[in-house]
Amino acid sequence: MRGALRTVLFAAFAGALALTIGGCRADLPADSFPSGAAVLRLALADDVPTLDPAAGYDAASWEFEQVLYDTLVRYAADSNELRPDLALSWGISPDATVFTFHLRHDASFTNGRQVTSADVRYSIERVINPKTRSQGVQYFLPLLGAADFAAGRTPHARGIETPDPYTIIFRLDKPDPIFLHKLAMPFAAAVPKEVVERWGEDFARHAVGSGPFMLKQWLSGQRLILVKNPHYFLSGLPKLDAVVALIGVNEELQWLKFEAGEIDISSIPPAEFTYVMKTPRLKALTIHHVTAVTSYLGMNCQMPPFNDVRVRQAFNYAVNKPKLVAILNGRGVVARGVLPPGMPGYDPDISGYAYDPAKARRLLEEAGVRAGFAPVVWLTSDPTMLVLGQSIQQDLALVGINLVLKPVAWGPLLDAVREPHTAELFLLGWGADFPDPQNFLEVLFSKEQWGANNDTFYYDPKVQELLTEASVVADPKRRYELYQQIQQIIVNDAPWVFLYHPVAYVIRQPWVHGIRLHPLRPARLDYIYVTARGAEGEQTSGETNQTR
Amino acid sequence: MLHYLIKRIAFGALVLLGASLITFCIAFVIPADPAVAIAGVKADPHTLATIRTQLGLDRPLYIQYVRYVWRALHGDLGRSYARRQSVTGLIVARFPATAALAVSAMALSLILGTLGGLVAGAYRGRALDNLLLIASLILVSIPVFWLGTMFLVGAAAHFRWLPLGGFDGMRSLLMPSLALALGSAGYYSRILQANLAEVVGQDYIRAARAKGLSPVRVMLRHALANAILPLVTLAGLDFAGLLSGVVLTETVFNWPGLGRLAFEAVFNLDIPLIMGTVLFSAFLIVAANLVVDLLYAWLDPRTHLA
Repeated sequence: MRGALRTVLFAAFAGALALTIGGCRADLPADSFPSGAAVLRLALADDVPTLDPAAGYDAASWEFEQVLYDTLVRYAADSNELRPDLALSWGISPDATVFTFHLRHDASFTNGRQVTSADVRYSIERVINPKTRSQGVQYFLPLLGAADFAAGRTPHARGIETPDPYTIIFRLDKPDPIFLHKLAMPFAAAVPKEVVERWGEDFARHAVGSGPFMLKQWLSGQRLILVKNPHYFLSGLPKLDAVVALIGVNEELQWLKFEAGEIDISSIPPAEFTYVMKTPRLKALTIHHVTAVTSYLGMNCQMPPFNDVRVRQAFNYAVNKPKLVAILNGRGVVARGVLPPGMPGYDPDISGYAYDPAKARRLLEEAGVRAGFAPVVWLTSDPTMLVLGQSIQQDLALVGINLVLKPVAWGPLLDAVREPHTAELFLLGWGADFPDPQNFLEVLFSKEQWGANNDTFYYDPKVQELLTEASVVADPKRRYELYQQIQQIIVNDAPWVFLYHPVAYVIRQPWVHGIRLHPLRPARLDYIYVTARGAEGEQTSGETNQTR
Repeated sequence: MLHYLIKRIAFGALVLLGASLITFCIAFVIPADPAVAIAGVKADPHTLATIRTQLGLDRPLYIQYVRYVWRALHGDLGRSYARRQSVTGLIVARFPATAALAVSAMALSLILGTLGGLVAGAYRGRALDNLLLIASLILVSIPVFWLGTMFLVGAAAHFRWLPLGGFDGMRSLLMPSLALALGSAGYYSRILQANLAEVVGQDYIRAARAKGLSPVRVMLRHALANAILPLVTLAGLDFAGLLSGVVLTETVFNWPGLGRLAFEAVFNLDIPLIMGTVLFSAFLIVAANLVVDLLYAWLDPRTHLA
């Protein structure tokens, strides 16, 4: 009996092994492309959260969504200039409340159906519909009748008109000079209604758009394969035949794969950064740009002693920002205000707070803060954040502040900073979604955002008044003047210690060209091209778009 | 036997209910807002409030729990906040990779552990036994993530013998399986060596020797058959652990299994996915315990099921 059992067990064991391996192998995609095919191989640390443009609100999703789908307008490859996409032309009313677009006639979804204005309307209404639970709903609620549509009172949003298949008109309830930028976000990408309705919440796994690439395969946790859309309306794009993204490859493994030539573009692990920059061959292959992000030490303006502007200014003088940038191996630019370089309204003349511990001590003394005061700073447990926190801790110790670090996970950190009177200090950052100072100044410092994005609970009546005024000014010159004025008040009030603007680096193989880093968005894959590996070394200089 | 089975299955169901209750409570103790997890950090207060209502997060906790259990009983573990996919679907998609790794690692660790234990048992107290003792202690002590990284740097990156991580057939299975198996093999070999030392002094072994059987036959046919029994319990529980996903190994080797899925869920505070993976792991461990008990009774008829 026992002999028979062993035989059965052995057979089951071997069978299970064969089945699991065999089953998995059958699932593996055929990622072998014809010889000579231009295939770009990437590696991602985490799985792509989604490929549904109504759902994605992160760089990983947007990197692929922006080449699977089209929006009415889109950004140039490496600047914030808006270019036609599905729309050939557009007009804006002088008061920035009516936006009229004329669509191209040659755009079609990869299922063969032509893209019409009805598709654009459906896609935006889908974002507004609460059932979609889209993170982009806030950008389209100013459309006339959006609230009625969201509540199910009307079949369509009154503010979206489609007089013919190639014209779409948006009417807003108040002027919005940056509405065009909102239409360039992937949330506004056209999706085919019939495919969305067929797959429901699983549309992301069966993504169909009209962009330069189409989804071939997405194996959860393994790889994502996009292939060229042969019917894409712009001739010459995309330049690649396919993109294969390996999923779940941590930064260190990415680097090993890059060195082995298995992937074509990689991030640079902190441990390898100095080596790369000291090796001319590798340094020439790096591409970098200053991101539209500001990293800051937030101070809760409602919690004593941080309700005293002198204390907040003292902290600004006490923190040595160039040292933080040095800790980052130079991968940052010292911040002097809220807005990052390259953002419209950025003021290069703003002075900010130079490192001056003596002045900090004097201000703290005036404010009555005694030596030994021990505030708690909330930060994520990310190793880089911890090192930066320790550097700030050392700086503040020199002015008599015994900073206590409180590393927590991302979720609890966000929860804490949104609760009034909870987190007195916190290390965070903010990145822009579109190139307008409103996306920083109003979102982060208006009273309406208390409990949401205004995590310092900052309030200044003058700032509030100017924010309301600036939000509807369509004239860019006047608009940016107002925002510069607002920024100056905020810098003087110092609700943040303005730390640095991160500089992003990637490295490419010598045979990869055409990478253009965008200030706000992930690099577009449709402009990238590859040459034969034998031609390594060519064009390695002058390939970088160093925006610094 | 049937009575025993019914009792054990009922007990297992209770354990699973307990596991679901604990994970549910932990999910609500964590100070993180599920609405923010879905809507993103930039969402405005109105959007967050709408999502809370839609998810039923404004309803009493016990109602939310009963709804969760009811849906789980129907195979619906909810939808991931971060990925917006069915949790059941995600687990089903990742399980084959984990199963392949678990089966191969278990096979390797049993083969290597049995070989090591047999050799150490045969040469008990001699140099080879001592050498195997040191080797097994080293293997047990090496952290799997370090061993895995060394394999990657050496065998894959430097010598290019094997693929640099990923899940692509037999060749890609070798390094993660070996990294996982070596520690267990060292442990199993010590257990087996100790059991053999006990068994070889028994009368039936002396009788087998007296019959003139060869030492190899005595060892394999008579001593091993009894000394290996305790390994069944150990291996069964280890196997359940392997099937639940091995976070570090899967992370180091870019292995798309349940361990990495659970790790990513924790990292993103993706509560439905955390609860789903925990519940699935609990199910595997309960099932493995039951199978081990039944196997044990089958292999050793002296064991009574009650």
